[in-house]
Amino acid sequence: MGLLSLLRKLRPSPDKEARILLLGLDNAGKTTILKQLASEDIATVTPTAGFNIKSVAADGFKLNVWDIGGQWKIRPYWKNYFANTDVLIYVIDCTDRERLSETNRELFELLMDNRLKQVPLLVFANKQDLPNAMTASELAEAAQLVRLEERTWQIVGCSAVDGTGIKEGMDWVCKNMKK
Amino acid sequence: MFLFDWMLQRILPVIFLYLRPFIKWFLHTFTRLCELQRIVYGAQAGASRTRQVERSLMLSQNVDIQQLLRELDTAVETCSEDELRQLPVRVVSVVQRVKRIKSKIHPDFAPLFGTCVLHIWSYRHLLHQVERLRAEPYDANNLDHEQKLLELWNRLMPEEPLEGRITKQWQDIGFQGDDPKTDFRGMGVLGLENLLFFSREYRDAAHHVLLHSKHPVYGYTFAIVGINLTAMAYRLLKSGDAKVHFYNVANSLNQACSLIHFHKFYCYLLFEFDRFWLESEPTNIMDFREIYQRFEILIMEALHNDKTLFKTNLVVEDV
Repeated sequence: MGLLSLLRKLRPSPDKEARILLLGLDNAGKTTILKQLASEDIATVTPTAGFNIKSVAADGFKLNVWDIGGQWKIRPYWKNYFANTDVLIYVIDCTDRERLSETNRELFELLMDNRLKQVPLLVFANKQDLPNAMTASELAEAAQLVRLEERTWQIVGCSAVDGTGIKEGMDWVCKNMKK
Repeated sequence: MFLFDWMLQRILPVIFLYLRPFIKWFLHTFTRLCELQRIVYGAQAGASRTRQVERSLMLSQNVDIQQLLRELDTAVETCSEDELRQLPVRVVSVVQRVKRIKSKIHPDFAPLFGTCVLHIWSYRHLLHQVERLRAEPYDANNLDHEQKLLELWNRLMPEEPLEGRITKQWQDIGFQGDDPKTDFRGMGVLGLENLLFFSREYRDAAHHVLLHSKHPVYGYTFAIVGINLTAMAYRLLKSGDAKVHFYNVANSLNQACSLIHFHKFYCYLLFEFDRFWLESEPTNIMDFREIYQRFEILIMEALHNDKTLFKTNLVVEDV
């Protein structure tokens, strides 16, 4: 550690903190996105038992990103993490057409919760690097996202594996942070 | 305090590196033994000796030895088990020539040093083997992968036949959904091989752990937790923290490090994690992250002791 970074460490951090909740079905790519955000190795990702959390600095914000496991046995615990969420990020595997209705059902169900009422929503249309993936607009239509009239929301196509689209999505997150 | 820590961590090793040749020269003159000899004769057999030999070789300034080490590291990437066993012969002869150690005067040096060399490079060889398995993604079109997956089911649930390849039954052994193929993720075939070894070689222990995983309050997803422990075993192997255990195993069995030792190390971790999990009395699966991290710290602490050798004869105590 050099002297400069030493001094920087001693200075109190002025950053505002924000709580980001990362949800979606199992195998959607939540943990890979989390690792991309933290610039960590994504090759050795494992299925999430429970949850992961990382703090990432972005645009003067300190983002505390909560990645909650997506398997159905864990989904009942999602609601324990709703309180004080600033932005909800919902991740969908665009190659998993069979579970499209399942992921859609989960999304609309969790949006009904009062604690998430005013919370902006970013949908990551993940796995765009795979040949048979639906595009973001195809997904928006299939998932009937137009039903989200009142809410601030956005859909962004991304590939968690090569990082495409992640930055665009996070820029939107920082701009639309709940005040 | 801050500055003091910083000095201790940064400056002392640098000073030591500069002083090292003088210390070595001093000791060489007065003991008439080179550093490797002092370690081989002086340090206790096992991890203590092997790690000191490894460190001494890695710090060597001698061009011949540096070249030799590079060749060894390349060789163990792909060599066979037989070729691996031949490696020490060459290393011993090069070191004896460079350090002018006469085998007539020092007959004990060659076998003791050769054993350390075998253990050091068989560990590195193992690392490549494990990495290849990990990097091979699970492929549902690969017959070999599919057969191993079915064998895993049959060994864990011998009394319950699988109704189909895609079925909710997979959740009974702790996979996430109705098809385990996407659950191996970054651990690839390594995760499957680890679980299969556990169910095959430690049948009773595996059934014992699987039963615990179905506990109404402290239950967890067996296969998913198993894959997360593959990640821990892999991480400890790769970082080198696991060297203490592997060098001690190699020494006590008088064998080179091998894939079987890795599987057994994994089985130890999974078996002990299960015990640790129950003892922690978790509220639910959401406590996994914290308990997993605490368990990893315990293992790391044990691995800081040169004498650590995890016992892999997993005994199920009957209640």
